[in-house]
Amino acid sequence: MTASAIVQTQNLSKKYGSFNSVNRVDLHVQEGEIYGFLGPNGAGKTTTLKMLLGLVKPSEGTIKIFGESLNKNRPSILHRTGSLIESPSYYGHLTGLENMKVMQQLRNVPDKNVDEALRIVRLENHKNKKTEQYSLGMKQRLGIAMALLAFPKLLILDEPTNGLDPAGIGEIRELIKSLPSSYGITVLLSSHLLSEIDQIATSVGIISEGNLLFQGKMETLRKKSKSSIFLKTGDNSKAEHLLLTQGYCPVESDNWLVFENLIDTKVAEMNKFLVDHNIPVTRIEEHKKSLENIFLEITGKERSL
Amino acid sequence: MITTLRLEYFKIRRKRIGIMILLFLTVEILWAFMSISRSIASNPEHAIWESVIFTISSMNGLFMPIISAIVVSRICDMEHKGETWKMLVATNVSRGQLYVAKYLCANSLLLLGILTQTLLMIMFGLIKDFPGSPPSDLFARFILGTLLITLAVTALQQWISLVIKNQAFALCLGMLGGFIGMTAGLFPATIRHIFIWSYYLDLSPITYLFSESSSTYMKQPVDVVIIGIAVIMTTLFYIAGRIHVSRQEI
Repeated sequence: MTASAIVQTQNLSKKYGSFNSVNRVDLHVQEGEIYGFLGPNGAGKTTTLKMLLGLVKPSEGTIKIFGESLNKNRPSILHRTGSLIESPSYYGHLTGLENMKVMQQLRNVPDKNVDEALRIVRLENHKNKKTEQYSLGMKQRLGIAMALLAFPKLLILDEPTNGLDPAGIGEIRELIKSLPSSYGITVLLSSHLLSEIDQIATSVGIISEGNLLFQGKMETLRKKSKSSIFLKTGDNSKAEHLLLTQGYCPVESDNWLVFENLIDTKVAEMNKFLVDHNIPVTRIEEHKKSLENIFLEITGKERSL
Repeated sequence: MITTLRLEYFKIRRKRIGIMILLFLTVEILWAFMSISRSIASNPEHAIWESVIFTISSMNGLFMPIISAIVVSRICDMEHKGETWKMLVATNVSRGQLYVAKYLCANSLLLLGILTQTLLMIMFGLIKDFPGSPPSDLFARFILGTLLITLAVTALQQWISLVIKNQAFALCLGMLGGFIGMTAGLFPATIRHIFIWSYYLDLSPITYLFSESSSTYMKQPVDVVIIGIAVIMTTLFYIAGRIHVSRQEI
């Protein structure tokens, strides 16, 4: 394990009967990262996060958080970890402030943390209202405030923008993005929304049907979305032969000639060259793989996320 | 542990548990006092401390299982409703700690109810001018006996209330217990002793002897076997419930 790894799992698996909810997942979250744990509904995200918090017992595998084994040092690890799993937890008959006080007692933190956490999620004006009267978005924000209360080293958020309106999603997104730099918090958040992870995360893990299919920097994933030039001519085989002599590397695919990494001037030169050699160019298109296409390609699911 | 227990008292604010206990006890006490007053009117010999202790003990068989079920259910249900189990466990509160805190919280409230009951019984006796001073030994046995059965009943109720989210099950069990407790006297001892709710009468310091000519209140000796069974039941229900709840996945 590297020195800066905050979360590391090895062969982490969870079986329910014969069903593999999570299958040999090797998570690797570095300090200071915002790690987006992405996957369709039912992919095993929540089960994995629950295992990281000791809420669900793994069938197999090991979990190390802050370099310590979760099995052996659970109290000390949880002391430094804040979490919001699935829906927000709250006592409906208590006010927002009283709910925070419950958490304050458990976390043993000063009053100023309560005020600060409520201020961060902009609930200070609603703190004396019973939480059963809160909207779903307010409950979600209260859940985040409770997770933030002790300003932990690691914050685990399971679908934190669920139930929020677009403005609320924007606010929470900005808040999460600011946590590593403002408070030194490493964030591990799950989502089924690719756009959300794309805008927040610095690293990403893609899980589908319990298997971790991709893990790495967001940049690496974005690089997969580089553009290709698609060319159609009156005589593709002749054009391909001629272009190869000029140093181009076309690949024939479904009556198209495909070129990778071609800049605009090269495309113009190629067009002129073909026309000069009496090969009519009927179409030039630029195809760019969206992150969504990459995701679908990785997960092998031609369906909505 | 102290923090968890303190939190339980904090969390039950606005749950109106105290008012509920008081309402149930008021109905029970009024019913019992009216019954004793009528009994005294027809037979002045019944104007003794034993009559009030026996009547309340027998009525506790009906009321205490229901009150216990409601109190425990109110204390446990808030964790289900707000899905707070995962929050608490992820904050490193052990389920065992939480279990004992809820158990102590529920029983301390019910003990307050039993003490209030005792106080009202003494006040009633003084108002009715019962002979002699209030028998402290009998009242102490009444309090301890009722508390012991309550400990067993709440252990069973807490197990059900925490394991089954739908509180209708726990409340139905409480009502069934109340029915068994109320009719316990009609069953032979061997059958009666299977059910914990029938022990309110068995552990009462006073019993009532029915005879054709005249019925009388009598002191009941301490039954060590019954106490032993009650302690064993309490321990079994508590440990089984705690293990079951601790092993459940969240």
